[in-house]
Amino acid sequence: MEEKIKSPIGFFLILPALSVLGLLYVFPLARAIWSSFYDKEGNFTFENYLKVFELYTEDIIYSVLMTLATVGVVLIVSIIISSYLRFKDWKFLDYMYRLPLFIPFLIVGHAMRIFLAPHGTLNSLLTRVLCVEELPGISGSWIGLLFTFSWVMTPFATMIILGAFRAVDPAYVEAAQNLGASKFRIIFDVLIPLSRPSIIVAMILTFVRTISSLTIPLMVGPNEPNMITIDMMFRVNYFNDWGVANGLGVVSYLIVVGFAIYYLRYMVAERGGGIKR
Amino acid sequence: MKRWGVVFLFIVLSVSLVLAQGDFPVKVVLRMMVAGDQNMVDFFQYEIAPEFEKVYPNVKVEVVGTGPGPAGSRQIIQQLEIERDSNKDKWDIDVAVVHEIGAVWALQEGLIRPYTDFLSAKRLVVRNTDKVALGMNVDGYVMPMFHSQTAIAYNPRYVKNPPKSYTELVEWVKKHPKKFGYNGIKHGASGISFVTGWVYWKSKYTEKLLNGPYDKKYEEDWPQIFAELKEFNKYVTMTSGNAGTLDMLNRGEIWMGPVWVDMFYTWVREGRMDPNTRIFIPAPGMPGQPMYYVIPLKAKNPDYALKLIEFVSSPKIQAKYIVERFNWYPAIGDDYVTPFLKKEVLESLYKDVKQEDLLKYGKPFPLTGYYEDILEAYERWVEK
Repeated sequence: MEEKIKSPIGFFLILPALSVLGLLYVFPLARAIWSSFYDKEGNFTFENYLKVFELYTEDIIYSVLMTLATVGVVLIVSIIISSYLRFKDWKFLDYMYRLPLFIPFLIVGHAMRIFLAPHGTLNSLLTRVLCVEELPGISGSWIGLLFTFSWVMTPFATMIILGAFRAVDPAYVEAAQNLGASKFRIIFDVLIPLSRPSIIVAMILTFVRTISSLTIPLMVGPNEPNMITIDMMFRVNYFNDWGVANGLGVVSYLIVVGFAIYYLRYMVAERGGGIKR
Repeated sequence: MKRWGVVFLFIVLSVSLVLAQGDFPVKVVLRMMVAGDQNMVDFFQYEIAPEFEKVYPNVKVEVVGTGPGPAGSRQIIQQLEIERDSNKDKWDIDVAVVHEIGAVWALQEGLIRPYTDFLSAKRLVVRNTDKVALGMNVDGYVMPMFHSQTAIAYNPRYVKNPPKSYTELVEWVKKHPKKFGYNGIKHGASGISFVTGWVYWKSKYTEKLLNGPYDKKYEEDWPQIFAELKEFNKYVTMTSGNAGTLDMLNRGEIWMGPVWVDMFYTWVREGRMDPNTRIFIPAPGMPGQPMYYVIPLKAKNPDYALKLIEFVSSPKIQAKYIVERFNWYPAIGDDYVTPFLKKEVLESLYKDVKQEDLLKYGKPFPLTGYYEDILEAYERWVEK
């Protein structure tokens, strides 16, 4: 009886959120996909996609590699920080690692551009300490971009992973310690396997946030190749060419969806009886 | 009886005073849309509007900015199209500031009206930017707001004898690898301008690129041109944007690079740039661009729009704001402006690039079709 009364109310409760989602997300998405198949005169065409692959294949590959590299670095760094904080209560680090969360991308981009430039803050310091004439700068290269992305994305991932590590029942950790396992083994054999869903969530969120970032690659990244977002902006601003821009958008959407599907299937398998492992 | 006469006179006087109110100018809200960076919007909102409202107290100027680049102009055109399609008698926008491409679009769509015959400042224009935009005849429909120009900035500490032309620049760059920097085409228009200048220098059909007609056959020598640019790029540092080039110049990481002249001088004035840095325009020239005033076809207050344009184009305002405050080159002949300029401003803005250099080497951007093809050619043949 209760069930029957609850369900329509529940539906009405989520209706505002649902309609916002439909209006601001589903509808523009459908329109973007739609218009990627039309040229400026409004004729159906595959021309946009031909152009996407003719001009931007390298940029697409670069974007994916760049993003994967970021995810890799973020994964390693955030697990190191989380592990440390799981065993040692160091308040200073606990506050400091969150700091980048509160700095806007634009500021980060500008700061890193100056910090990492050939004669920037970092190199000015290093050349004086090491007593060398000249050091190459890493802003304006993929290394600088990777560094900046990692710096920006790590706190978010760390928060999720550290939360998961702390949620692991201390009994498991203590049991392992009793049996003589080192901290290193506890991390790899107990904490990480038990927190795997959270780690994967953190990685996928990092991936999505990185591949959709425009400001940072624009300010810190190399001049070429470019991330997909820059190419989209370029197409719209200089050619008023929404077709190709939307084509690029659809491609990056497909990349993200690929990961999302993998993630969903993994989660379902994980919850549906634990067949895996 | 006499008393009644006074009362009568008083009534007549006060009634006529009340009626005379009708002749007083009505309140006018002058709506303008401005494409371009925030500094353009600030220019109208905080500098021009208050000055103009002082002269015409019945007018209130409202400024809306639509953002930088052709996208900003595109938004204005879309707004005018909406007004046209609504079949209204009077459109809401009284005056707009657009890029060259915006003026071309507006004229093609029949969204703007001719007005410069009634503009006395038009006679002070010395460059032909008021007649031709991107190869299209726009005479009568536009008045330039200012001219912005790209040039090559260099650090005289390292560069004693700067090259004078693209040819010499290439030699210089080969001798000093990685000391020339520019920002490609996706990170700001100073790079686009450098590439366009490169095409002007190499192409056999530069005349056609500038004045039309648009035909792919005039692009036949481009693969070679861009292959040479790709080779040139091997000796070049790629910077991260208009500001990136200036930053690297300032830190001595590069010794030379293309910049927007107004941006350069603004940075110098704000103390963000080494004031010893110098600029030059290499032969056969680099592009610059005006911004244009246009009046929509059915503007509500075309008279006041005209008055505003006249006001902003007057030598005094051009000197005080366009040149002194914003470091743009004036819309009207420089000679009309110079009497109103302070000596130090005159010496800084015209120290390196003189008016005759501007007339000789200040090129317009090419026809839209060629412009887009240059960008895509760069993506196709240089970036890959």
